[in-house]
Amino acid sequence: MLPIKAVVVIALTVCLTASTFAAYPHCCRRYMIGRLQDSIIKGYSVQTDTEMCRINAIIFHTKKGKACADPALKWVMDAVDRIRNKAQKIHQRSSQGRKKKTI
Amino acid sequence: MPRSCIIALVILVLTCAGSAAGFIIHRHTFIYSAEDLISNQSYTTKMSNQSYTTDMSNQSYSPKMSEDENNYNGSDNLDYDGFCLFHNNQSVVDVIGPYVHSIICILGLVGNSLVIVTYAFYKRTKSMTDIYLFNVAIADLLFVLALPFIVYNELWSWPMGQVACKLLRGSYSVNLYSGLLLLACISTDRYIAIVQARRSFRLRSLSYSRIICAIIWIFAILVSVPTFYFYDWYEPSHTNSIMMNDDNQSEILSSEYVCEFKFKDRDTAMAVKVAVPSTQISVGFFLPLFIMIFCYSAIIDTLLKAKNLQRHRAVRVVLVVVAVFIICHLPYNIVLLYDTVTMFQQRSCEEADMLEMAKTVLQTIAYMHCCLNPVLYAFVGVNFRNHFRRIFRDLWCLGKKYMSPRRFSRVTSDFYMSSTRRSMDGSSNSGASFTM
Repeated sequence: MLPIKAVVVIALTVCLTASTFAAYPHCCRRYMIGRLQDSIIKGYSVQTDTEMCRINAIIFHTKKGKACADPALKWVMDAVDRIRNKAQKIHQRSSQGRKKKTI
Repeated sequence: MPRSCIIALVILVLTCAGSAAGFIIHRHTFIYSAEDLISNQSYTTKMSNQSYTTDMSNQSYSPKMSEDENNYNGSDNLDYDGFCLFHNNQSVVDVIGPYVHSIICILGLVGNSLVIVTYAFYKRTKSMTDIYLFNVAIADLLFVLALPFIVYNELWSWPMGQVACKLLRGSYSVNLYSGLLLLACISTDRYIAIVQARRSFRLRSLSYSRIICAIIWIFAILVSVPTFYFYDWYEPSHTNSIMMNDDNQSEILSSEYVCEFKFKDRDTAMAVKVAVPSTQISVGFFLPLFIMIFCYSAIIDTLLKAKNLQRHRAVRVVLVVVAVFIICHLPYNIVLLYDTVTMFQQRSCEEADMLEMAKTVLQTIAYMHCCLNPVLYAFVGVNFRNHFRRIFRDLWCLGKKYMSPRRFSRVTSDFYMSSTRRSMDGSSNSGASFTM
């Protein structure tokens, strides 16, 4: 009866530690209506349909939460480009600063 | 055999009625979502036209948008703009995940290991059905053993890594297919034994059943190859976000691993995401269902014609076996079918949440079937119960004698002798495989 004991132990440990689960990474299931203002977009992530999710989407992070946008729309990719360009500038600035320091 | 046809028809009609009811329930939400989508599309095109024709300046759309935004937040403040958090499903998973599944796991483990032990040590003479039942018990046991690991990993962002991911998902699939197809084999064997009794001596040999079992296990493995191949352990790309915090750019890398589908290109992704659940519905449910309905309706027909005192009990057992199979698997497969058909459609968060919750609950009901199999197939049989009683008697005797360690060696040989003798005795009255 050893396996039964083992399962009881496993089940008990699972039950006892059940209160703090890791958040499951959810997917966008539909695209948002309308468009977001640039000022409230804090960042973005990319959802692809070659992974666990069913549709391609750009997830914009805002103060209020996450919004799912259709990557086929122009404003969505413009917003993504803007964030990317901003990041690029910061990257160049910081790498220049580092060069100066090393010189 | 007209009467068997009528019975088969009745069961089929009942099944269809059940599925129709399922679809009617869903039709309401489907119509809602379709209307919703159309209105959304027209709205988005209107919006984009507006914004693109009047230059790309912020002022052109900001007043209208702020109004729209307020409306949107008012109506839906939990799931913001299409990113569903599945609150209802999550609360159901939190309960079913650890608690209900551990009950299923313990019951399934006890029941199926008792069946395996009984067949391995006691029931020497085996019929075809016995061999199938032994294999069903093995499939169910492996399934039940994998279940706590799958639940544990899904709750804790899959800490056990790539090998465990492929093995657990793959073995889940293999055991699902082999278990359900073996139940169909049992119904076929009983059909041959009862309805085609004249041919049964030729068709029901043990070597046949071993070959059939091997074929079914190989088939189950082959059908599960896509699952083995395409399930992967990875961090989904959408968990990595690029954030802008007041002119500071930072990439937030989370460590949320999942064990889900992953593909190289889009076409395979589309094909496999539909093909895997479709195969599960057709081969893992409808194929065994139709075989069972055909065989058992013919069996009931034959039993009702026969002049036997035990026939009512046999008919009842057959009906219970079919009913339990349908109750456990039909609802889940209907929801799975609906989910597969509407796989790539956009869904409102409420609908997606409801569908996920239904899938979670109904899948658990389908899991329960592997705890019920030992009761429905093995413990119903009189012979099996006799063998099973002997196990307990022998274990009890062994336990008592085990207390005095001096006589241990003699006791074991005694125990072995007695068990073999008893199983020889038992062989005399185990002619029929359809023991009830």
